[in-house]
Amino acid sequence: MLTKFETKSNRVKGLSFHSKRPWILASLHSGVVQLWDYRMGTLIDRFDEHDGPVRGVHFHKSQPLFVSGGDDYKIKVWNYKLHRCLFTLLGHLDYIRTVQFHHENPWIVSASDDHTIRIWNWQSRTCISVLTGHNHYVMCASFHPKEDLVVSASLDQTVRVWDIGALRKKTVSPADDIMRLSQMNTDFFGGVDAVVKYVLEGHDRGVNWASFHPTLPLIVSGADDRQVKIWRMNDTKAWEVDTLRGHMNNVSCVLFHSRQDIIVSNSEDKSIRVWDATKRTGLQTFRREHDRFWILAAHPEINLLAAGHDTGMIVFKLERERPAFSLSGDSLFYVKDRFLRAFEYSTQKDTQLIPIRRPGSNTLNQGPRTLSYSPTENAVLVCSDIDGGSYELYVVPKDSYGRGDMVQEAKRGVGGSAVFVARNRFAVLEKSSNQVLVKNLKNEIVKKSPLPIATDAVFYAGTGNLLCRAEDKVVIFDLQQRIVLGDLQTSFVRYVVWSQDMESVALLSKHSIIIADKKLVHRCTLHETIRVKSGAWDDHGVFIYTTLTHIKYCLPNGDNGIIKTLDVPVYITKIYGNTIFCLDRDGKNRPIIIDSTEYIFKLSLLRKRYDQVMSMIKNSELCGQAMIAYLQQKGFPQVALYFVKDERTRFNLALESGNIEKALESAKKIDEKDHWYRLGVEALRQGNTGIVEYAYQRTKNFERLSFHYLITGNLDKLSKMMKIAEVKNDVMGQFHDALYLGDVRERIKILENAGHLPLAYITASVHGLHDIAERLAGELGDNVPSLPEGRKASLLIPPSPALCAGDWPLLMVSKGIFEGGLDDTGSGAQEDYEEAADADWGEALDIGEVDSIQNGDISMVLEDEHVHEENEEEGGWDLEDLDLPPDADTPKNTQNARSSVFVAPTPGMPVSQIWVQRSSLAAEHAAAGNFDTAMRLLSRQLGIKNFSPLKSLFIDLHMGSQTYLRAFTSAPVISVAVERGWSESASPNVRGPPALVFNFSQLEEKLKVGYKATTAGKFSEALKHFLAILHTIPLIVVETRGEVNEVKELITIVKEYVLGLQMELKRRELKDNPVRQQELAAYFTHCSLQIPHKRLALQNAMTVCFKAQNLSTAAHFARQLLETNPSNENQARTARQVLQAAERNMRDATQLNYDFRNPFVMCGATYVPIYRGQKDVTCPYCSTHFVPAQQGQICNVCDLAVVGSDASGLLCSPSQIR
Amino acid sequence: MAAAAGGPDPLFGLRNNFYLGAYQAAINNSEIPNLSPDEVVERDSLVYRSYIALGSYQLVINEIDSSAATPLQAVKLLALYLSAPENKEIAISSIREWLEDPAIGNNPILRLIAGIIFTHEQDYNEALKHTNAGGTMELHALNVQIFLKMYRSDYAEKQLRVMQQIDEDHTLTQLASAWLNLAVGGSKIQEAYLIFQDFSEKSQITSLILNGKAVCCMHKGEFDEAETLLLEALNKDAKDPETLANLVVCSLHLGKSSSRYLNQLKLAQPDHILAKRASTAEESFDKAVHAVA
Repeated sequence: MLTKFETKSNRVKGLSFHSKRPWILASLHSGVVQLWDYRMGTLIDRFDEHDGPVRGVHFHKSQPLFVSGGDDYKIKVWNYKLHRCLFTLLGHLDYIRTVQFHHENPWIVSASDDHTIRIWNWQSRTCISVLTGHNHYVMCASFHPKEDLVVSASLDQTVRVWDIGALRKKTVSPADDIMRLSQMNTDFFGGVDAVVKYVLEGHDRGVNWASFHPTLPLIVSGADDRQVKIWRMNDTKAWEVDTLRGHMNNVSCVLFHSRQDIIVSNSEDKSIRVWDATKRTGLQTFRREHDRFWILAAHPEINLLAAGHDTGMIVFKLERERPAFSLSGDSLFYVKDRFLRAFEYSTQKDTQLIPIRRPGSNTLNQGPRTLSYSPTENAVLVCSDIDGGSYELYVVPKDSYGRGDMVQEAKRGVGGSAVFVARNRFAVLEKSSNQVLVKNLKNEIVKKSPLPIATDAVFYAGTGNLLCRAEDKVVIFDLQQRIVLGDLQTSFVRYVVWSQDMESVALLSKHSIIIADKKLVHRCTLHETIRVKSGAWDDHGVFIYTTLTHIKYCLPNGDNGIIKTLDVPVYITKIYGNTIFCLDRDGKNRPIIIDSTEYIFKLSLLRKRYDQVMSMIKNSELCGQAMIAYLQQKGFPQVALYFVKDERTRFNLALESGNIEKALESAKKIDEKDHWYRLGVEALRQGNTGIVEYAYQRTKNFERLSFHYLITGNLDKLSKMMKIAEVKNDVMGQFHDALYLGDVRERIKILENAGHLPLAYITASVHGLHDIAERLAGELGDNVPSLPEGRKASLLIPPSPALCAGDWPLLMVSKGIFEGGLDDTGSGAQEDYEEAADADWGEALDIGEVDSIQNGDISMVLEDEHVHEENEEEGGWDLEDLDLPPDADTPKNTQNARSSVFVAPTPGMPVSQIWVQRSSLAAEHAAAGNFDTAMRLLSRQLGIKNFSPLKSLFIDLHMGSQTYLRAFTSAPVISVAVERGWSESASPNVRGPPALVFNFSQLEEKLKVGYKATTAGKFSEALKHFLAILHTIPLIVVETRGEVNEVKELITIVKEYVLGLQMELKRRELKDNPVRQQELAAYFTHCSLQIPHKRLALQNAMTVCFKAQNLSTAAHFARQLLETNPSNENQARTARQVLQAAERNMRDATQLNYDFRNPFVMCGATYVPIYRGQKDVTCPYCSTHFVPAQQGQICNVCDLAVVGSDASGLLCSPSQIR
Repeated sequence: MAAAAGGPDPLFGLRNNFYLGAYQAAINNSEIPNLSPDEVVERDSLVYRSYIALGSYQLVINEIDSSAATPLQAVKLLALYLSAPENKEIAISSIREWLEDPAIGNNPILRLIAGIIFTHEQDYNEALKHTNAGGTMELHALNVQIFLKMYRSDYAEKQLRVMQQIDEDHTLTQLASAWLNLAVGGSKIQEAYLIFQDFSEKSQITSLILNGKAVCCMHKGEFDEAETLLLEALNKDAKDPETLANLVVCSLHLGKSSSRYLNQLKLAQPDHILAKRASTAEESFDKAVHAVA
């Protein structure tokens, strides 16, 4: 049982859940009805109008109403919004036991000790039917959830089912009068429109409760005979199906669970029992010490139950509803029903992987609790509470996605929790000995490790580490080193969520979240009044979590807030940008789109990413008092400034952020004395004299203003102030100003005017103004004060201020980027000035540095000397060698034994040797480093005798065949032979052929490059590429015969190009031999080239011949050119012009060795045509033709093979050998 | 062994750093409090061997004086042996002498160093004579390597099994099984890759680990991936001979120019096996041309 909420009160006799809100009504024996919010755990309201115990209470499904019935014979209908009883239904003649609203009609059914059941219409507020028949107290009566039936239980030992179909028909009929008439009849004759359908007899004592099954035609009842009975009914009859025995005292209430196939009953024996409704066996019993149970209630929508007992009530759940899940990369693995399923976030595809063992239904809460997944091994650990904690290990077969209904035999074990700690290792907690067993995928124990603290659960904490949870703390424990990497005091941690980079962890407790780093250094703690359910990290390092009711965020500094409210609890699994993926309680994956603006904004502020902040301020509507308060509180008043329109707030924010200009603006708009005063204070603090002066002027604070002028040395204004004071008749002010100014005469005048003649006299005489003194002495007569003797008087003249004009050095007010970015006004001049000042200071510093360096040098010299001394001293130590007696001989014996017994194995065969033995491909021999055999093979197969062009290829092949693995430090590296055509299923220890650095696709690439160079007319470069291809081909290995043919084709293609290009280059050399030039140009057109190249060759030949006046031949080329349909219009036009010119004069100026009508091949060495029928020899490799004279020479085209030699042909694939 | 003894092992981090090629980290984090005298010697030998791995031979030779413990003397010999070719003879004769000495001849580190030196000399029989009895994980691991060099993966596998029985999760066990997996090839390559992958997740990424991964990738035919890894390793240590050697191989397979890396390698370590291969290949080519012609 998972208790969600508990109250302490008087005996609870009636309970009712609200269908939508998290509320429950409890009616008490004391006569009070309480309304609780079980989620928040608060008493919302209490209704105290019944006199004596209230036994029945029920919420209306949709209206803000509930009904209660008590021992005062009254049925009261209440409106909980108005907090009052709407009306009272009177009629019962004894205690009322239960009351219930009908699910759609405006009816209430009530059961009473007066032996009757009554049905009331709460709209007309009348009793519409009285069901008589029971001959003892009726303990309970309730409507069928769908049909027109009522079931009742009575102390007369029967359960009765009533048919109220007639009642419905009657209310449907509109004729009011008739209805009322018949209703009168009903009252009179009793129970005409509600008849007993079945009387169920079987209990030996009074029956306390009976209720319908929500969907099936079943009834369950509980009685004082301590039995629970199940009854079945059909259209015609009803009968007893089974009896559930087990309660030790009167059964007070019993009901079917709406979502599971179970029956829940409670009893005066102080227990709640859960029964399997199909097998009819007891599943579980929950006992209380002292409290008898009286009532049960089930939530109409969600999986909650409530039970009332002697001292209160409990709201509880029978089974956990959180699906077990585990995240891995893009996939979520979770358990739904009895299957392991996978959900892919990117495609949103949900697949059923494998069936897992269904938990035995003999006890509750045995479903999978946690899941741990190892992606590389595709293995899943499912942990549950079976046998006090156990796990099952499944390996998901790679190919059986979505099929297979066979439960595979899982590897099992007992343990508090099991979790993967490496790809093929998992840790199992053994609580009894407080140690962790590390097991491999065969479920064998690899290692045992005692734990540092008394642990009751372990969680993953990075490869090889475990997070151990105790009652009040968590530690991260390194399993290999057996040391504690970090610990943290926490409340009981329920879930652990690591961020993607494993740098941060969130520890979720029932009512708090602790964020820490990977060493468990505390970052922040959040407290939630509502239970925390789940959470995940987003990409920005914000932790998004759910409570029962909300989706919330938590920034790295601990600031949190609400993102969205939730109707039903969900479990967050992953966050992609604005989409939160979560699992709901039905095990369905749901994406939830959220608005992340607020927390991204706050995060940007926190991270000081002001550019982002600015763009967000500009682009999004992020307003509101809450945001301003947040900014102010977090010390960003300057940012808040830009959100605010209200001048007073603006003024305050500006002052707070020290933005004196903005404050001045606002102060001008507000223009109140108080604001001016505060502006003056701030300006003074910053030293902005102009504004101080302005503020004092606005507040008419003359004393301060005078003093201000004094210290700023503004004597003109000070004397003006004196005049103002005079005008205002402010004697004191005037005197002060005179004092400040050092104006003695003025002071005397003031004193005189004020009637302080003695003071005036003294002033005058002290300052040596004798004429005035005398005049005053005359006026004073006898009362001339005497001056102290021997003192010298001097006039106090105000010192001249350091800065006379402008502002004082201003207090540096941090100017955020906001001032720059958001204000258009800049203050460039000031900055310049500051820079200049800096420069001066820099120089001054330099001097200081020079000094310090000198000092440093001296001390360094001193140190050097010191070291010398030390060295000398150390030299004085002479180490004496100790003569040790030789040790016992035992070690030697063992050593001897070692060397005598051990016989080193003979070295095995290197992989390269294996390669050579198996292969007759030259490339593979070369890769193995057996160059001589490779050469022999080549000369046998292709007649190659000139190997020098192949040298670098051979060496590359050889070097590319091994990789280098540094194994043991300082020991020589291991070279490892690289094999070709690796596949994951290849069996080990079977040597494959060597990996070769040349492959066919590279050659194709090269061919393209060669073509391109040809098109561009870079013939020597192109020739180089083609030759390279021709030289590489003997060392190419391909797999299939089809590819062999492609290779052979490639030889021909490349050979033609090489020959053609060689001739073309030759032609260019022969500038002074036009005939030979024309011939070579003509022969070039006979090489088989790509169409564009062919066109170019033809155009070339045409031009050459045309220029040499061999018009007929030129015309031939022009014709051929036109036949190729040149896409280039220029080419075509020139060809046509040549053709026209030639047709006029169809003859050749010179005789060429060129007859295009007679088919011929070219000699690769002499570049003469070998016409059909003439004798020739060929190159065994590239099959270029030669005149017989070339026999025995190295082929001029491929530069490898000997012309006319015998060869067996190209061997370039193992498939040719098989 | 530490794993068998139970309880935290103060030298664990140091050893791991050393085995995985994080030599500077091993040196930097060698100040460990509360060590027993034996552990101090082991710590010092690991630190000096790290310096050797970094090429600071002279520092080791200078710092270890004649009064130091036998293991450290052995380490000094290794430094001497590796420092210059002309010192090899002295080092070998000293080590032979010490191995004969019954008082110290059985010291595991001395035997280990002997194994390393004789492996360098390619005298595998002599190396195995001293190392085959095992005793420490390092000796077993060295055995695995020697057997692999002898192309006797069957023997290597037997050694590995011994190591697995002692401590399957030991860093050296994992490394040795990666070496063996690479040597036998086939489907085992993937396992070797996973082992290196595990290391890269668990600990500081070193060029040794990156090279291991890259070699696996090359064996799997994933040369692009291997190149990325190797360039990352090159960033960490631009003179690491294995990185350069593997880059040469990788570039060859990618059809890119490898001469820059080869030249760098020849500068960094002229006697590297690849450099030797390159020069011997040229010779044998010329020889073969003569032979065939």
